[in-house]
Amino acid sequence: MKTIVITGATSGIGLETARLFAAAGYRVLAVGHSTANCEKANSDIKSTCPEAMLAWFAEDLMQQREVERVAGEIKAFLAKEGVESLYALINNAGCARSWYMTTEDGYEQQFALNHLAGFKLTCELLPYLLKEGGRVIMTSSESHTGIKVHWNDVMLRRRYNPLTAYKQSKLCNLLFAKGLNDRYASAGLHAYGVDPGLVKTDIGNKTAGIVDIFWKFRKRHGVSPTIPAKNYLFICEQPEPPQWLYWYLCREQKYSRQVTSENATRLFELSEKLCGISYK
Amino acid sequence: MNVMITGAAGGLGRAMACECGRRGYDLFLTDINDKGLAPLKTGLERQFGVNVTTLASNLTSPASLDSLMAEVDRRGILFDMLLNVAGVDDEGAFVEMDREKVVGIAAINDVATLRITHSVLQRRRPGSKFAIVFVSSMASQFPIPLKATYAASKRFLLDFAEALHAELKPSGVNVLALCPGGMATKDSVIKAIEVQGLGGAVTTNHMELLTRRTIDRVLKGKTVYIPGAWNRTFAFFGKIVPRRVIASYLYKRWDKAQAKWLKG
Repeated sequence: MKTIVITGATSGIGLETARLFAAAGYRVLAVGHSTANCEKANSDIKSTCPEAMLAWFAEDLMQQREVERVAGEIKAFLAKEGVESLYALINNAGCARSWYMTTEDGYEQQFALNHLAGFKLTCELLPYLLKEGGRVIMTSSESHTGIKVHWNDVMLRRRYNPLTAYKQSKLCNLLFAKGLNDRYASAGLHAYGVDPGLVKTDIGNKTAGIVDIFWKFRKRHGVSPTIPAKNYLFICEQPEPPQWLYWYLCREQKYSRQVTSENATRLFELSEKLCGISYK
Repeated sequence: MNVMITGAAGGLGRAMACECGRRGYDLFLTDINDKGLAPLKTGLERQFGVNVTTLASNLTSPASLDSLMAEVDRRGILFDMLLNVAGVDDEGAFVEMDREKVVGIAAINDVATLRITHSVLQRRRPGSKFAIVFVSSMASQFPIPLKATYAASKRFLLDFAEALHAELKPSGVNVLALCPGGMATKDSVIKAIEVQGLGGAVTTNHMELLTRRTIDRVLKGKTVYIPGAWNRTFAFFGKIVPRRVIASYLYKRWDKAQAKWLKG
């Protein structure tokens, strides 16, 4: 049986993706923000898929130390179950904000959760993923286009535009995937970014003002999260790992010209420093 | 530049610490929440490469302040700036509130702030300028029924800062009172802002701007900083309308809102 890890699994795209993988016979290690959310999502999935193999981990991945803690818990769980490898890691947890807000580490929240959390968790779980020639999938977005990474002010402190911060974090998802491929494709590990499209989820519910109006408008024409969920399973079900980086509705999609190996290396260096880790 | 920040592990204190780190200042951070200090120290060091020292303290306790200062002296730190961010907010009808809680508002916002300000001023770097910021509030601009103690405690800081500014100016100390409106520090605050609709959104201060401008202004020697055009407009009305009228208006407004809320 193949084991996968998915973050942000208690609602929206993450919940439907976890359900789909569980129904397809994968063992799903699901990470959610709180115990209450996890319990709710667990009974939700079990109600449609009673045979689901699920384990839940509740941490706030925005905080660096909680990423470390959940990585430790997952490793302990794998050791207990005698599992030595992971087939896939889906870095899906994300948020949208209206204002400049910091995590307990003093990092801007969208950058910290949408990018740094996945960057760090992937590093922690890398030995397990390399064993099985694993696949790492980021929930990116078409909003990653039309923007460059603000290298000199990555937390956007000079003048915080919340939508710019969101777009930048989604560009970082693709750069991270690109950098992973550059480093580990020869070792059998492949990374991807998925554009879920416009989806009706809870994202943007904790915003107010203009940003709140933006997200409400955006989501009005959204599809059900079951549609993008298929894309994640599609990538994992291919017997040979697909070679293309960016996907939309199970099809290869063009991505921003900013997604270069040079920018990916730059992002790796910056993120390694901020997370206190090293990919080597 | 050595900066002491109180209440550093919370929303505004943390944003202030990030702003100081961005400027390359070395930091001494304290907060009653000791769990929040360690990750912030690590995060600041990774982002800015500045020196960060942290020690938890309860500033309402003289003994706790003494051990904080003992640590400062042991390290031989002399300060160039003090940011008084630590404070609490609470509301409710005065007679119905828990007595110790009410007294605690004044004890933390005012008494503890006086205590640390007095002791940090003894540890000024000799021969250089010094800067102090008191985090007052928009609430300092009006008497606010049902939030009487909080508003008065913030008024205390505003008046104290303005007087201290004049008193210490000759010895090279700049004192600034910061009077912010709402700030997006945590989910519960954001909900409150959302409930207020557009009015809530326009009076909410942007923390990345507010922190930068606060430090800019105190270094320039300004006395009071009310961030945001809407907040300045409200503060202006606060000065021209008789305070008794404002107080009874605010009370009626709140009473109505509460009645509606109880019904609905």
